Amino acid sequence: MDNFVIQTQGLSKIYKQTNALQSLDLAVHHNSIFGFLGPNGAGKTTTIKLMLGLIRPTAGSATIFGMDSVRQSVDIRARIGYLPQEPHFYEHMTARQTLHFTAKFFFKGPQKALEERIDEMLDLVDLADKADRPIKSFSGGERQRLGIAQAQVNYPDLLILDEPAASLDPLGRRDVLEVMSKLRKYATIFYSTHILDDVQRVSDTVVILNKGKLAAQGPIEELLAGSEGVIYIVHMKGDAEAAASLVQSQPWVSGIKTGQHNEETTWQVSVTDPAAAEAQLLKLLVNGPVLVTEFHRKQYELEDIFIEVVEGGQNGRK
Amino acid sequence: MAGNSAFELVSERGWRRGLGNLLDNEFARWWKTRLWWSQALIWILLIGFMLGAVAIGAKESIDNVVLIYCIFASMFPAVGVIIRTQDAVVGEKQDGTAAWVLSKPASRQSFILSKLVASGLSVLVIMVLLPGIVAYGLMWFGTGTQLAPLAFLEGLAVIWLFQLFFLAFTLMLGTFFSNRGPVIGLSLALLFFQQYLIGLIPATNNLLPWTLVVPTNNQTYAMVPSLLLGQPVSSYLQLFFITAEIVIFVLVAIWRFQREEF
Repeated sequence: MDNFVIQTQGLSKIYKQTNALQSLDLAVHHNSIFGFLGPNGAGKTTTIKLMLGLIRPTAGSATIFGMDSVRQSVDIRARIGYLPQEPHFYEHMTARQTLHFTAKFFFKGPQKALEERIDEMLDLVDLADKADRPIKSFSGGERQRLGIAQAQVNYPDLLILDEPAASLDPLGRRDVLEVMSKLRKYATIFYSTHILDDVQRVSDTVVILNKGKLAAQGPIEELLAGSEGVIYIVHMKGDAEAAASLVQSQPWVSGIKTGQHNEETTWQVSVTDPAAAEAQLLKLLVNGPVLVTEFHRKQYELEDIFIEVVEGGQNGRK
Repeated sequence: MAGNSAFELVSERGWRRGLGNLLDNEFARWWKTRLWWSQALIWILLIGFMLGAVAIGAKESIDNVVLIYCIFASMFPAVGVIIRTQDAVVGEKQDGTAAWVLSKPASRQSFILSKLVASGLSVLVIMVLLPGIVAYGLMWFGTGTQLAPLAFLEGLAVIWLFQLFFLAFTLMLGTFFSNRGPVIGLSLALLFFQQYLIGLIPATNNLLPWTLVVPTNNQTYAMVPSLLLGQPVSSYLQLFFITAEIVIFVLVAIWRFQREEF
């Protein structure tokens, strides 16, 4: 229990007749960067709002730091920093006043330390020169950066970011990812996004939601390894049939898919023992009747996994 | 990245969590913007002008001047209170700031109470006391009769209760509706049609603040003019009922707001 910052059990939410979230079981480890993926309407924001106590579950429960998200919501929020998908602040306030207002939910003072923290946050998101401008004059990107600053002002144990890079330009996105990477030493980061490249770059664990259901969950390496198991790709020229008999006789080979392009044969070799395959497969071929022109382990992009899971309707994969 | 050891942590717990900060914020909206002086100016000029033109200019007796003042000082600012308050909860629900604030360690009770307390005290000073002091001077100057200051303050306190009734009522409606129309419509309807309601259902006589300022059939003066003129008040029971209703409105507002989903 103590190993998890967030745990949900059968967490569900029904809006009128719509199942926004269906029996979600999540477990988020300490100091992880947890990428929360899914197409629009998948239930990402609903899940985040349930964790924050902004809405109540129809069934199931969520515990954050071991505290119940309904009964102990305020105590949970004392340890959280949250960036909403579309940050809304008091328009008449300046960025500095907004950060001061946010900080005062956590700290009484001293004033000097508060001011230093606010300056630090303004520098972090590069808003120091706009600190005393009213928010009503801010662009979408500036509001987003202010949102990131206010989410971090208390140095939270858990940072929940709902689409943190949505309205940022590529440089802004890069900065946000850098900040997240820096913060992982101090905090657990749970963030939802559509930008799969970002997830692949910084996350260590990923969940994919689809139509309110958990579609895939696991460490990013496992997801990227694909659901077909370990596959080696081999391009070769020569007597591929003879080589295939040799390879198929190995106990760690579970199958070979063959393709042909001009004089070149391509194999996808599925293996049950990746270590044995890595040590022996290339040797077998090099010493055999073919000329190997390319050899590598098949790598998946997160986008492949995402599309496969979302379009293939593969729910509950772990 | 240093930790939070340099800070003194907020000590409020339970329903009070976030109350101090939210109160500071709500007071700042009244007192750190031009709102306080613009509102004070409006009510001083409006009540002063109406009193001067309608009552003192017509050389009415002090009794009549006080009666007219009671109606102006109760009804006009109540419209202002309703207009200011109709947006307090609905506006924050609509523009997303309520959800943002409630994602911080702040209780929902604090959210409602901060609006009630800050608006209530600001209304007391800006819409009741300041115009009241000016009216007191005008009445003294215009009629040559000085009212007892303490009795006048007691009358102002009841006028404040009149405003608090509509403040709490409008705040409560704001927790039930998602747009401003019904909130302002129902509040103004209650303000302007309370005398008809009393006529229709006499049992509401003690439940509506109208009869704090306008006498019912068997009274010479209602409670507020009696207090302002330093005359005895036959019964304070109505104060109890109005206060109880204010408490009920606030409790209902808190109950409803705790069930709100953002």
